Amino acid sequence: MSVVVSPIREPLIEGGKTYHQITEDICSPTEKAPNFAWVLAFTLSSIFLGLFLFTVAWTIWFGIGTWNLNRTIGWGWDITNFVWWIGIGHAGTLISAILLLFRQRWRTGVNRAAEAMTIFAVMCAGQFPLIHMGRLWLAFFIFPYPNTRGPLWVNFNSPLLWDVFAISTYFTVSVLFWYTGLVPDLATLRDRSKGIRRKLYNIFSFGWTGAAKHWQRFESLSLVLAGLSTPLVLSVHTIVSFDFATSVIPGWHTTIFPPYFVAGAIFSGFAMVQTLMLITRKVLKLEEYITLQHIDSMNKVILVTGTIVGVAYLTELFIAWYSGYLYEQYAFYNRVLGPYWWSYVGMMACNVLSPQVFWSRKIRRSITWTFAMSIFVNIGMWFERFVIIATTLARDYLPSSWSYYVPTWVEIGIFLGTLGLFFTLFLIFTRVAPVVAVAEVKSILKAAGDQYTGPNAAKHHHHHTAVAAQTGAH
Amino acid sequence: MEEKFVFDSKKRWVLGSGMILGLLCMLITFFKDDELHTRFWTNYLHNTVFFVGIALMSLFILAAFTTAFAGWSTLIKRVWEAYALFLVPGLVLLLVLIIGVWGHWHHLYHWADAEAVKTDKVMFGKSGFLNKYWYTFGTIIVVGAWIYFAQRIRKYSVEEDANGPGEDFSYHRKIRTLSVIFLPIAGFSSAAMVWQWVMSLDAHWYSTLFAWYSGSSWFLAAIALTILLIIYLKAQGYMPKVTANHLHDLGKYLFGISVFWTYLWFSQYMLIWYANVGEETIYFRERLDNYKPLFFLNLLFNFVAPFFVLMRNDTKRKVGTMVFASIVVFVGHWLDFFLMVKPGARLTALEAMAHHAGEVHDAASHGSGLPFAMGFSFPGLLELGTMFGFLCLFLYMAFTQLAKASLVPKNDPYLEESLHHHVV
Repeated sequence: MSVVVSPIREPLIEGGKTYHQITEDICSPTEKAPNFAWVLAFTLSSIFLGLFLFTVAWTIWFGIGTWNLNRTIGWGWDITNFVWWIGIGHAGTLISAILLLFRQRWRTGVNRAAEAMTIFAVMCAGQFPLIHMGRLWLAFFIFPYPNTRGPLWVNFNSPLLWDVFAISTYFTVSVLFWYTGLVPDLATLRDRSKGIRRKLYNIFSFGWTGAAKHWQRFESLSLVLAGLSTPLVLSVHTIVSFDFATSVIPGWHTTIFPPYFVAGAIFSGFAMVQTLMLITRKVLKLEEYITLQHIDSMNKVILVTGTIVGVAYLTELFIAWYSGYLYEQYAFYNRVLGPYWWSYVGMMACNVLSPQVFWSRKIRRSITWTFAMSIFVNIGMWFERFVIIATTLARDYLPSSWSYYVPTWVEIGIFLGTLGLFFTLFLIFTRVAPVVAVAEVKSILKAAGDQYTGPNAAKHHHHHTAVAAQTGAH
Repeated sequence: MEEKFVFDSKKRWVLGSGMILGLLCMLITFFKDDELHTRFWTNYLHNTVFFVGIALMSLFILAAFTTAFAGWSTLIKRVWEAYALFLVPGLVLLLVLIIGVWGHWHHLYHWADAEAVKTDKVMFGKSGFLNKYWYTFGTIIVVGAWIYFAQRIRKYSVEEDANGPGEDFSYHRKIRTLSVIFLPIAGFSSAAMVWQWVMSLDAHWYSTLFAWYSGSSWFLAAIALTILLIIYLKAQGYMPKVTANHLHDLGKYLFGISVFWTYLWFSQYMLIWYANVGEETIYFRERLDNYKPLFFLNLLFNFVAPFFVLMRNDTKRKVGTMVFASIVVFVGHWLDFFLMVKPGARLTALEAMAHHAGEVHDAASHGSGLPFAMGFSFPGLLELGTMFGFLCLFLYMAFTQLAKASLVPKNDPYLEESLHHHVV
């Protein structure tokens, strides 16, 4: 397959890789004993996972009273964390689905890890509504099914129920998408392994042989799943935003919430992808596959979505004033200058102001800056949800019920614990599957490998443009 | 690769006649109108905002595609450059509205009525933004800035044709820099302007989503008009290198953004309906009570039709279905703006006229049970004629620009990608 590539584009695969080298580089980390960095990270993550299990058990044993929620502020860290994790779980499917539809070649370097991250983030998110129920063993009540509880059905009018559908659908399709992409790569691993590993990979690769028919079906399925996931990416955070926007709480009920939540979700998702990829490429030595060009592109997405979020913040603030609606105006006054002013400042500084450094190409391509910024954005997006949830609730319609909220150690423990859950799952993933999509990277080698498109490449692709330039000069 | 578009006398004659027809329709509207010439002025505002928006979105498309390293669209970028330059006559059209606000020629905006603002608490609260100074200088400065970017991008693009891509693609890099700077400016300023031009017609009402909603509407109108023009140019023998593959990608935009528009429509409508706050629901109540056919046609033209026609792969590659879908979407979004403009302005005018006649009537009050009025309840032939006139003006300006440079940007670094574009 030959493609014409503009000479202005930069290569996406460096190091003059051959097809075999790609297989070697990406598969070998799963075949060797883990290095010290991995073991250390895994131990640390497991400790936090233990903290998660402990604090969740504590919550279930002693009840939600161990949290500091009160009569005014009924949603605190739990729902903040839920929305934060769900938001992070957006980048993977955006990269795999929307960037596939837009034929963006750079997605191949990062889509696999991003999709995995998505799945783990959604799993973390799902914990919070479940434990917030208090009586976890009755969690199945959220499913609408003909039941023996008399005419007791779920409330179909509630956006919280729509969340159940949206998130479970999103999770299912994301897993399918991720797994579909994994099948050819698992087959590659199978072909390289022996004994029990071979047997296991054989099962998980569904007998993939790489036949033309397999590829044809693989590609059709990828496109169908991409088509399905694209509206799903939008729907999930849209419905999460409905949790707030369908209410009549000033500061929550605003029509811009759906698209602005989606933009924010992509923003935070990309930040988390950066955090993970910067570590992964270093630890697994994948710098030639996850290049500075990839990091640059993702930083651009962060800059764009951060600025979109900024437009939304200012729109909200302006329209609150413009509305002439006293409660709306007060809600935003309180948001900026009220008792939680520091979280508003944190949100603005981390989400809108600091990403503006990415206007500089040098900073977009600096590992240190990118890593620091990715953490900043993660913090900022957490603050955003905290601002929306706790700040708004703390000052409701009745001044007599105004309140202030700080989390207990249990709530903090659960949050830190989900980080443990997330990283534990991700670290396991890097051990059992290729973190970069081997087959997909190979598919772009001739269009984006540096021996084909870089400055030292054979110049045949440049031919037309060079001629055009000459004729233009005459 | 040089390809010259000739804006011959036949085309000039046809478009000129169209403009005269439009002018004639406007004159008839003006003289048949009520005492405030509400129908005339709402038509003028509606079409001015609609076509200025198309020009803005063409510039936005150009800037966004350049920033995103899009290669496929290079062969058709001259169309967007030409469309974007309509901002210049667009500003002139807007100036007429501005002078109208100062000279009390029209009574489009309730907030421009100093007497009404004094007694109306809500409008008084907004008067820091809804006033003629903001309207005047906001429009001139913002549209002036858009024009600056449109002209600079065009300038480098044409110079690239003449002088070659430059060392290390310097022309393209300059265009890219301009595009990148333009995008956030467009993001903030287009919202502010559409609040002034359109949302303030319903002076009491507000919606945070309004700017993005109307922006997506403009975007679709721009894409639809692009598709139609390209198909026309191809039928005239121009743009031989533009293939079904390019059409396919434009079709994807028409389809995808139509779904996105529907998403925004739904988000705005559903949230307002669900929360049921009187200050917000009034907007849709008014439209459902007095503009029901338009309300549903809007969804039929802008969602149902493009969704079902363009869902299949092959319909995006065929001229017939693409022309059909583009016309439907173009008219659909024109209707969408009709529905944004007319109801609010009509209530304002009714109140003003009642006030003149000594009756007490409040524009903000629920105007249910308004009688059917051609040109308001539904667009009549005069509205269609006026739109046709504006369209001919828009195309006349676009053709003038198209004729000034090669249709193929022959030294664009992405040209080869566009020439070999295949949708698989």
